Amino acid sequence: MLRHLRLMFCFAKFSLLGELAFRSNFLLKILVELIWLGILLTFFKTIFGKSSNVAGWNEHEFLFFVGAYYALEGFVETFFLENCVEFSELVRSGNLDFCLLKPIDPQFFITLRRVDWSTAPKILLGFIMISFAMYEIGKPLELWKVPLFLILFLCGCSLAYSFLLLLTALSVWMIRNQSLMEVWWLFTNLMRYPRQIYDSEWALPIRMVFGFIIPALLAVSIPVEFAVKEINIEFTLFLFVIAVVYFQLSRMFFNYSLKYYRSASS
Amino acid sequence: MNKYFNIARLSLKERLTYRGDFLFSSFLRFLPMITSILLWKSVYSSSEQDSLSGFSFKQVIAYLLLVNISRMFSSMPGLATNLARDVREGSIKKYLLQPIDLIGYLMSYRIAHKAAYISTSLVPYIILFGSCASFFDTFPTPVGCAYFILSLMLAFVIGFYFEVCLGMLSFWILEVTSLLYVVTTLSFFLSGHLIPLDLLDTTGWLDVLKNLPFAYLAYFPAAIFLQKISDDDLLLRFFIGVLWALFFFLLSRVILYFGLRKYSAYGA
Amino acid sequence: MIVIKTNNLSKQFRVYEKPAGLIGSFKSLFNSKFKDIHAVENINLEIHEGEIVGFLGPNGAGKTTTLKMLSGLLFPTNGNATVLGYVPWERPVEFRKAFSLVMGQKSQLWWDLPASDSFELHKEIYKIDPVKFKKNVGELTEIFQVANLLNKPVRELSLGERMKLELIASLLHDPKLLLLDEPTIGLDVVAQSAMHRCLYEFNQTRKITILLTSHYMRDVETLCSRILVISGGKMVYDGQLQGLKDEFGKEKLIKIQFKNLVPDQVFSKFEQLEITGGIVRLRVSKNDVPSVLAIVSQCEEVLDISIEDPPIEEVIEKLFVSHRSKSL
Repeated sequence: MLRHLRLMFCFAKFSLLGELAFRSNFLLKILVELIWLGILLTFFKTIFGKSSNVAGWNEHEFLFFVGAYYALEGFVETFFLENCVEFSELVRSGNLDFCLLKPIDPQFFITLRRVDWSTAPKILLGFIMISFAMYEIGKPLELWKVPLFLILFLCGCSLAYSFLLLLTALSVWMIRNQSLMEVWWLFTNLMRYPRQIYDSEWALPIRMVFGFIIPALLAVSIPVEFAVKEINIEFTLFLFVIAVVYFQLSRMFFNYSLKYYRSASS
Repeated sequence: MNKYFNIARLSLKERLTYRGDFLFSSFLRFLPMITSILLWKSVYSSSEQDSLSGFSFKQVIAYLLLVNISRMFSSMPGLATNLARDVREGSIKKYLLQPIDLIGYLMSYRIAHKAAYISTSLVPYIILFGSCASFFDTFPTPVGCAYFILSLMLAFVIGFYFEVCLGMLSFWILEVTSLLYVVTTLSFFLSGHLIPLDLLDTTGWLDVLKNLPFAYLAYFPAAIFLQKISDDDLLLRFFIGVLWALFFFLLSRVILYFGLRKYSAYGA
Repeated sequence: MIVIKTNNLSKQFRVYEKPAGLIGSFKSLFNSKFKDIHAVENINLEIHEGEIVGFLGPNGAGKTTTLKMLSGLLFPTNGNATVLGYVPWERPVEFRKAFSLVMGQKSQLWWDLPASDSFELHKEIYKIDPVKFKKNVGELTEIFQVANLLNKPVRELSLGERMKLELIASLLHDPKLLLLDEPTIGLDVVAQSAMHRCLYEFNQTRKITILLTSHYMRDVETLCSRILVISGGKMVYDGQLQGLKDEFGKEKLIKIQFKNLVPDQVFSKFEQLEITGGIVRLRVSKNDVPSVLAIVSQCEEVLDISIEDPPIEEVIEKLFVSHRSKSL
């Protein structure tokens, strides 16, 4: 465990050094993230300028949600996204071999070896938005809720990671990684807004599939509902369980795809 | 003239070979529409108003569908980045030696590219618009349709020359790709791709936004189709749009001239 | 101590035909045609500790495939192998710490960072003791003479410099076995010699077993005591280099330089490879060498004479040809 932490520290350090070597590029990337934040907040403000609530979420609760989503997106982009996108390149070039030779768990090495520092501020900004939303709501968050919220938040991150890993593993069979990014973007689209938006009748199939089978709808919704709306015990437990299940499943599938790579690559 | 036609023919062929995954990714691109529809439905039902900034719920959805068409004409994937790369890597040299005009070449390539893209997108788009026909309450008059088509041409021209100018900045700036990233992000919002510009009336910037070149890339054609622009305003808007097109056209020529001069001075 | 032992190691690949066009692709969903490629067939070898073994063969012979199986990167179709006492494709952690694989023209160093950073990462991954690490880095840097390169970003280095650093990285954790796949490809002669020298020194001082694949004879001639020749997936020779020359090199090349033109008809009995001006080059069987020398001693104004073994490439080529004709 300690060794893995030390390795993470190494990965983080060297990634940062690598990014700082291209300073203007790095700063521009951060600028883009800030512009996106501006766009997101403007969109948010515009909607709440026209309506006092959206699908039962008032302005401050919604802001909490936006902050949580932004932080989750930042978390996945900082630690995993770049590595997963690079995976199909590793498969294509055969450099995946080097990762398999190291005396270290391949999933750990492949999905964590680069840290994208330009998206790291999103995590902080997301939590700042959350704090601001709490302040606006007025009543403080109960102390016992804080660690549980963080655990649920990490469950949401883990769910997103597992889905990303499943997509990544497919690159062993399909070399085109353009579709990977598009499917990932679809997934994030489902996490982006409170799940109550999908409450209308004809959206039932979406609620069924993406609420229970590939529970993208729950990833951000449930943790935030836990914090500032009514706690739904069944869904909360479900999120926790399904996050663990998906983590195991995605890991198994990833290792399976590596086995396939090792029997087929020439 | 013949050589441009041949270039156009080749890139058309290129585009058509990827038909299979193309249909798939076109389909994928429309799924987020469902989320948008549901989101705006919630907004409208809780606002208890039928019209927000002059847009009804159906019109907002129709707008979001229509900007896809505008973007089909005005988006230039890879134009600026490939151009920037060619400048950086020196493949621009051949334009100093061969009797072919860089911008002319890029234009022929793009037109063919667009033609192929639009023709192969017809089927998914027809399916999409067909299933969403209920969102379209009104249709423009034949004159309105003509204006709509003109605005799409304008979107193409402005989009093209704007990206060419950006790409050619790499004659002087090294990290153009990152700069492009910033501009694309800004353009996404300022063009009205995310949200109809009219809904931003509370920000106080509406008048400025409507006159920026970005607005012509997505907002303008959609607004014409939905008859959101009054007749006296329409001619003025077109006039400003044409000015922008002319501006970027001239700018691209100037940049190319000075850029190539710099190139031959330093021998790349 | 036996480091590598294989028993009928074989690998087949099933390659599916990729049809052209949309209709072809559609058809292939129902009826895909495939070919079975026998990349490696029944390789039996035994390598002892401290040996430097060369693994020669033309492109596509199966060298890289064999190496990948020995390093655990590929599952064999048949047969088994033990490397350092482990079954390679089970990839136990202890095994991965005990050997290194270096592939020519492929880099495992971080591109944008100086090599010293990659080394440090290596130290963490292989859990190398910090004191030993420092000592190793110092020693290796000295042997390879790369002290001034350690702090430059890897992307700024030439191929030769990068390969040296790759080699250092592969040796930092004191592996007992070093597998090299075409390490000198793309390197100029100077860089090649430098690498040979360093590998040899390393083998002598640290008793590390080295298995090196190449299609350059130079690598093998200078370094290896023993060579394995593989062709068409099969092992065609396993033994000493000299033995190879003896068995297949029953000829000599003789070059004679005259002051004036080469005398006519004198060497017509023998295979003449080249006559230009005053120089003649002959290929003769070993037994005919005395006859040639006798003739030369009769000639006038001989400036120079040299007798050489034919290049080993020719010998190997003969080996492949004879093997191919045997298998037909």
